[in-house]
This record gives sequence, structure tokens and C-alpha cells, in this order.
Amino acid sequence: MNDVQDFAYWMALSHLPNWRTEKVNQLIVEILHNQEITFAEFFNLSAEQWKKAYRLNDKETTDLISARSELASYSFVAESLLEQGFSLIPINSDEYSKTLKDNLKTKQAPPLLYVKGNKKILNEPSVAVVGSRNASEISLEFTRNIAQKCAHDYRAVVSGFAKGVDKLALDASIEFNGHSIIVLPQGILTFSSGFKKYYQQIVAGDVLVVSTFHPKAPWSVGLAMNRNIYIYGLAKEIYVAESDSKGGTWAGVMDGLKKRRKIYVRKPESDEKNANNLLILKGAIPVNMNGDQIEINDEDNLRIQLTELLSSGYLTTDEIKDKLQLDIEPKELGYFLSGLDFIEPMKINSKKFFRLKELSSDQTELFQ
Amino acid sequence: MDRTQAEQKLKQIFNLDRFYDDQWATIDRIFNGERILLIEKTGFGKSLCYQFPATQFSGLTVIFSPLIALMRDQVKYLQGIGIAAGCVNSEQEPEENTKLLEQAQQGKIKILYIAPERQENLEWLEAVRGMNLSMVVIDEAHCISIWGHDFRPAFRRIINLVKLLPARFSVLATTATATPRVAGDVVIQMGEDIHLIRGNLLRANFSLRVVWVRSEEAKMAWLGEYLQQVEGNGLIYTGTRVNTDLFSAWLNFVGIDAANYNAGFDAESRKEIEDGLLANRWKCIVSTNALGMGIDKPDIRFIVHTQLVQSPIHYYQEIGRAGRDGKPTEITLLYNPADVDLPLYFIKNSKPSLDKYFRIIDAVKQEPLGEHDLMRRTNLTQTQVRVIRADLIDQGIIKEVMYGRSKKYEYHFGAPELDVKPFEALRKFKLAELDKMVEYAESSNCRMDFLCRYLGDASVSRCGKCDNDLQQSHVMELTAYWQREIDKFLDDYYPELPVETRYSNLINGVASSYYGFSNVGSTIHRCKYENGGDYPAFLIKKTLRAFRHKFGNEKFDLVLYIPPTESGELVKNFAERIAKTLSFPISHNLKKLKRTRPQKVFQNSVLKRDNVKDAFVFEPHYAVANKKILLIDDIFDSGATIKEVGRMLTKLGAAKIVPLVIAKTIGGDIS
Repeated sequence: MNDVQDFAYWMALSHLPNWRTEKVNQLIVEILHNQEITFAEFFNLSAEQWKKAYRLNDKETTDLISARSELASYSFVAESLLEQGFSLIPINSDEYSKTLKDNLKTKQAPPLLYVKGNKKILNEPSVAVVGSRNASEISLEFTRNIAQKCAHDYRAVVSGFAKGVDKLALDASIEFNGHSIIVLPQGILTFSSGFKKYYQQIVAGDVLVVSTFHPKAPWSVGLAMNRNIYIYGLAKEIYVAESDSKGGTWAGVMDGLKKRRKIYVRKPESDEKNANNLLILKGAIPVNMNGDQIEINDEDNLRIQLTELLSSGYLTTDEIKDKLQLDIEPKELGYFLSGLDFIEPMKINSKKFFRLKELSSDQTELFQ
Repeated sequence: MDRTQAEQKLKQIFNLDRFYDDQWATIDRIFNGERILLIEKTGFGKSLCYQFPATQFSGLTVIFSPLIALMRDQVKYLQGIGIAAGCVNSEQEPEENTKLLEQAQQGKIKILYIAPERQENLEWLEAVRGMNLSMVVIDEAHCISIWGHDFRPAFRRIINLVKLLPARFSVLATTATATPRVAGDVVIQMGEDIHLIRGNLLRANFSLRVVWVRSEEAKMAWLGEYLQQVEGNGLIYTGTRVNTDLFSAWLNFVGIDAANYNAGFDAESRKEIEDGLLANRWKCIVSTNALGMGIDKPDIRFIVHTQLVQSPIHYYQEIGRAGRDGKPTEITLLYNPADVDLPLYFIKNSKPSLDKYFRIIDAVKQEPLGEHDLMRRTNLTQTQVRVIRADLIDQGIIKEVMYGRSKKYEYHFGAPELDVKPFEALRKFKLAELDKMVEYAESSNCRMDFLCRYLGDASVSRCGKCDNDLQQSHVMELTAYWQREIDKFLDDYYPELPVETRYSNLINGVASSYYGFSNVGSTIHRCKYENGGDYPAFLIKKTLRAFRHKFGNEKFDLVLYIPPTESGELVKNFAERIAKTLSFPISHNLKKLKRTRPQKVFQNSVLKRDNVKDAFVFEPHYAVANKKILLIDDIFDSGATIKEVGRMLTKLGAAKIVPLVIAKTIGGDIS
């Protein structure tokens, strides 16, 4: 439980202009854990001491001096937030989401959360359902099923309040009396209409609203993209209703797979045109319309193994046969590989290799 | 900076030679970034303790004070000696407040006064983001404490704020009136590292006395005599607003220049009277305790209380405004042992019953509600809603949230159950304080010693000036002469009906009497609710006298009367007789459109207004176009009915509408 006076300090540090989250968290760790002083004591140091003991450069020191002069103003804002029923949860609080901390770590976990509602939801098992903004009917049905399942299993749905799959998951979770977390793409004081809309659910303890940004920050594309990281961060499990091979959902899932997150993808019907199958190849776990895991058949399994194998480069048919210990004639393997849609042959010095097809790279890196 | 240097600057900026020791002790600690609670009597010079440091700090000093009059005076004074000062409060135009906040942000203002209700306005928050603050001052700091005599919920929030300020940030809390208990409470709330500086409370120039009386008439008589011989100008404090009207009218009747004042006046009228006070325009002003706080008049020569107040600390603060120039000052309390009923009533009714608390809690669980919506939903009075709201906020059960520009109340998830123990404790405490006040009145020992000791200063023992120390005792018996004068006065004393608004052609009307006076109320009650027949002749005569007194021989084109819900034709018959005597034509065409419920069922003005809205109609319209109308009813309570009819008639083209009624209630008379 933090001393209320600390909130002004937390706010000043969290909103240092253009500081990477990692840098802010490192500074906080340095102050509280390594040097073991209070924020009050830290802010009383001179610029020289900051440069020396905390290895800060001139720009950073200037930023801190500026932040120091705003401390009193932050006090007023913090007080007003508390009066209006908001809570501030710093990263070192017991009430902070452990899932968020584990998933994002020092590099990206937001140092301060602004919340309103039932704080305990932050540490309940949680699920995010992600998908394209213009998802198909079947994807929406899937979303509803997952949300209903979550409500039944006492898992909280994490939503960004964005049009499409995201909002639908939230509405379904509420409809089935589950718990939900709304992660705002804007400051918490700018959400009046939302607070009105979900008033009864908040009062009943079913909905928690969270924002990581400055309380008065208006919506912007940048904040919305930023906020997606936190949706993934707050969820223990991710369900993908539908994804293209580029765009926000794709980028998020790919990043999650890279970080070995548990990601479930809806196995699409054979006539659907989306990248769900591709994601399964990349390591996402296929599920059916009800969110239950599906057995991967042998052919799919092989496709997955090939994807993994060839992700490091190109190989000959023989090398592939050996590494995967396939009991098949190289010639036959060659035919098979040629028929796959995600592999292409190439020639180097008249030797034949196989490699993964290039994907259109809208893989906008979400994370710095 | 040492004391010598500081005193040099003091001379330069404020043209004062030196600090008192307690002042310097305070200022020194402020420069050291400490937090201080300064308790000094009125006239000590507490303002200098923050004004001087403010001029020396690089950033802005913010002063929270409930005293708008004081703010204005202080800002004027500071600007006069070349210090950039401003104030932000609800009596100024929003544009002016905005401009000041901008200037503060730009560093163009050194000292900014704020009335605490300002704090939750988001505009202020926005502005504060950019301000460079050096010091926070809390004036009248006793307002923080529930155990004090003037607890204000808005001040509680300042405490939250002080707790959030970084350490080594100068905070000064000042007050003239804090019992040891209140001081202790303030210290705990502001953080235990606060340093307490307390001066002595003896007001050496005060002569305290108590005059025993047996009736209100005796008080009027005493005042008539006293004010003819006392020197200088002063204040008369009454217990109710009605009495400010009554006593000032009485004093003028016996030839004494008196004005009246209470919080029901609009801001402009109040300012006028405050200015008049400073200019000694009248011998005295008769007022509720709303007047005097923070007014910078050094030569108030006497203060008379016509009614027992709730506690010695209330008393000490109210009389504290007198004699700041140190010259001889007379302080009198008119005491009738039966007077204890009024403060007792306020204490017993200071908290509404528990079920009303739950009504409010249940309402906000459904949706966020503003104050008026709450009043509508729960049928509670504004005062009840405000008291309950303050308690619920205090216990963290509801929160006050800004929705755009309007304030609404939300139920806070995870809130604790309502805790009623503090209410009971507070009640007991207030009853004990009232007992202490009675003890003061009935004491035969030094009165100054009694008050100072109560406030934690045991140094006085004997002032040598109070009636007890001088072995005098004062009793006022009513003589036949005064009885006659008072009867003459009451005969001609007619309460005004304040109904004028921008939205109608209503003019302030008149009633023949207050409901509770003589036997007017009981007669009305008998006729209306006990089948006592038509209103008797003496009421008609009295009403006609009231009319003549205010309107003389003015002619009216038409008489209308409010059609009743119950009580049959009483008002109709009454109106007919009035119209006949005055020879004005009467019309019976003012009708009720919808069934309204009797106004007395509704506890608050919002519901009363809702009840009568669009409830009346008059046909044909041309009959009232451009006419002067006399509008008659028997009882005037909130005035909602008359205002609604006035509005409706104005829309139909009526030129002037004047209400005339038998009796005006003093809120709560009608049970």
C-alpha cells in the first residue's frame, strides 16, 4: 500500500516526456531498490548528483528538473483523481497485475495504472479476444462463444473498447455476467460517456477501467497502438478470431508467438480467406468455434515442423529429410515440397534449395 | 535570511517596522520548508505571516480561505502596495476567474486566494498543471475539523491535497479559534510533523456582560434603550434570518439607524451593506452570523447577541470581530434560559434519520446523480441532501465526480457499510458544547477567563472588565412604556414576499404577518384544516392594512386568487371581500389544469416547483393583457405556486403581478 504522497512522484516519473518505458522503470528500480532512497529524497538531489549516481545525461536531468517543478500540480491532479473514485496503482504495488508484469517486464510494463472499479480483477485469470475490425460473422460468433466461456469459467475478458471483435468480446462478457477489463486508448478522465454507460457494471464490481496514459490525454492513433501492447500484456491467454497476414492483429500475434505466449487461433473453414492457418503454422494453437483445442493432423504437423525448420534459412531436400527424420524418398519429398504454398524453391550454383516464401511485410514492430 | 534582513525588506515592501516574535518564529519556519499551525487571536496579524514569505518565494503562493469578503479586501490591499495578487471565487464571473488562472500560470501573479469549492473544477486543475507553486496557506483552518464550529467538507479536500504535496513544501494553516481538541484534530489531519504555534487569547479591551431577559419583547426593549446611549457603531447578531428583519425594522421604528443583512440577500446587496458597514453608514447592522467574517473594520465598538449560540467557540469567534483597534469595546449576550431551544433544535436535527441515508445510497447505486436529481429522487430537503452527501463522501461511500461541467455523485465500488458511530459521538459532543455555552451565560466568574480557558489558554484568570469581575448583574424587565411601543410596532410590521425574478413581471408582495405571530397562524389553521369557517374579519383588516402600508392608494386592474387543492372556497371568499373593499374587479378564471398535490407534502423547493409547473391556466388571455394584477392567497411558503402563476400570467401579457397573502411561513411552520 503506497503512501498517498507518493502518487505525485509516480505521476511525474511516469509522464516524463519522450522517455522510453524501459528507461523510466530502470530509474525507478535504481532509486527504490539499488540506492534504496525515497522519491522525495531523490527529487531533493542536485542535477550533478543525478548525473553521477544515476548515470543520467543532460537532457534527462533537464527533464527531471522540469518534472520537479510540476510536482505540486501533480499533487492537485492526484488528489482530484482520488476524490472522484479513481485509484492509482504503481508497478511496485500488490494490486498491480502480475500477468502484466510477467508479460511485459521492465522493458514495457507501465509504471503506473489509473483505474476505476473492482481492482481485484487485475489479478484474476484473464483472456483477450483479438481480430480484425471488420471481422466476418463467423469470427463474431466465435468471439461471443469465447466471452461466454470465460464468463462461465471466471476468466476476465480484456478489451480495448475498439470496434469489432474487441468491443463485441466486452459486450458479451457483460451480457453473461463475467468480469471485464477495459484498457483505454486515452486518459482516464476523458472517458465520461463510457463511465456513464458502464456505471452499473462498475458499481457491481464486474468492470474495471484501466488507463496507462496521462489522465487528460485525448485519444490518438499513437495511444491506441500503444494500448494494444497493454491488452496483450494484461491477458494470460489470447484468442484470435480472425487475422490478415498484415496489420495490427497479425503483428500482435506474431510478437506474442515470438515471446512464447499462449495464443489460440480459430481454425478457419476451408473457404475462408484469412491468415488463421498461417498463424497455426507459426505456432499458434488451433481451436474450434467453442474455443476447444483441435488435434493437429499429421499433414499440418509436418507443415508446422517445416515452417520452424526453414525459419532459419534454406535447405536441400536431403537436409530437410535428415533433420526431420522423414521416412520418405527424397524425390517424393521434393514433389511434396514443391506443392506447398508457403515454400518456394531456389537455385544457388545449380543446386536446389527450399525456403519459406516472403510474406508481405507490414510487420510493423509494435514494440520499440 | 535572518531577522534583521527580513525586517529591512518588511519596511521596504509593507512599510512596517518589525515583526512580533510569534510572527518571525512562524516566518522563519516557513522559509525552512516546515508545516505550521498558527493559532492567534483576531487582530494579531496572521496575514503577514504568509504575505511576507510569499513576496520572497520565487513561485506562487496559494491561499485557501472561505471568506470571500476578506479575499477581496486583501487583494486590494496587496495590489495597493505593488504586489501582484488575485482571487478566484464563485461570486466572480467565470471569465474573470479563467483570466486570473492563466495569469497565475504565466507567473504574473504572486499571491492567489481561492475559495475551496473551486478545487474540483477541472479548469482549475488544468491551470495548476502549469503553475510553479511555492507555498500553500489554509486560512480559517478550523474548518478542517468536524469538532470545530464551522466544518466545511470542501476544506477536508484541501487536507488530502496537503498530504499529497512533496515533503519540505511550506504549508501554513492559521485560525483564531480552535479549542485544544480542534487543534489536535487539525494536527493529526495535516500530518504529525506539523508545528503548533499558539498565542494568548485575551482580548484586553473587551467588556463582557450577560443581560437576563424573560421574553423577545424584553430583548427589543433593551436594544431600544441600549442603542440610544452606546457610542460608536456595531453589530447585532440574531439567531434567525426572520429576526434580522424584525429587529432592524424595530430599531428603525424607535429612531435608530439600522440595516439588516443575511445570507439570503444577493451578492450585490450584501456587498453594499458590507461597504456601508465600513463607512459607518448606520449605527448598527442587524444580521445573522453571516456578516463580519473577514471584514477588515477595526472599530466595531459593540456586539450584541440576541440569541444564545451553539458553543463558546462560536461565541468567541463571533465577538472576536469587534474592537480590533484595541479601544474599549462592549460585548453583550441577551439571555433567556428558554433560548436554549433553538440551538438544541439545530443540534438534534443536524443529522437526518438513518433511513434517509439509505435512500440516497440506493439512488446512486442506480446511476450517477447530481444534487437536484437526488432531491427529486429521494424527496429530501436540500439541507438534508447536503448533510448526508458530506457524510457519505467522508466515509468513502460515494464520490463526487465531474461529468463535463456538472457535478454528480457516484457509488464507489468496494465502499464500506455506513458507520453511524461518529454521528452519535458528534451529537453528544455538540450537546456538551451547548451546555458549556449555557454555563457561560449563567456563570458568576470572570467571563474572559471562561472563554480563554475553553480555548486552551489558562493564563487570564481575571480580566477586570466583565460584569462578574465588576460585581454587576444585568436584568431587563419589560416596562409598560416599551410594551406599548412594541405593540405599536408589531401592528404595522408586514413581511415582504420576495418573488421578483427576471422571468416574470412579478413585484415583491406583502403578507399581513408571519405565520407564527399573534394568533394569525392558529386562526388560519382552524379555518383551513378544522372547518372553522371563512377567514374572520380581523385577518381581512390586517391584510388590507398590509396592502395599504406597501401600496397606498395604488390602483389595480384585476384581482385573482390561487385556486386551492383542499380547503374549498376559503381563499375565494377571502379574495372577494378584499376585492370588494378595494373596489377592484375580481375574476374567477385562474384555474388548475392538473391535479397537484398539496405543496406541503413536498420537502424541497425542486419538487415543489415540479409540482406546480404548468399546473395553472387562465382564459381568456386578453383579460390579463397589459393589466396590473393583485394575486391573492392565504399562505406563502416557498413561493413556488405564486412564482409559477406569475410566470404564466406574464406569458399571457400581464404588465405587473403583485402577491398579497395573509401569512408568510418561516420555513417548517407548516408541519
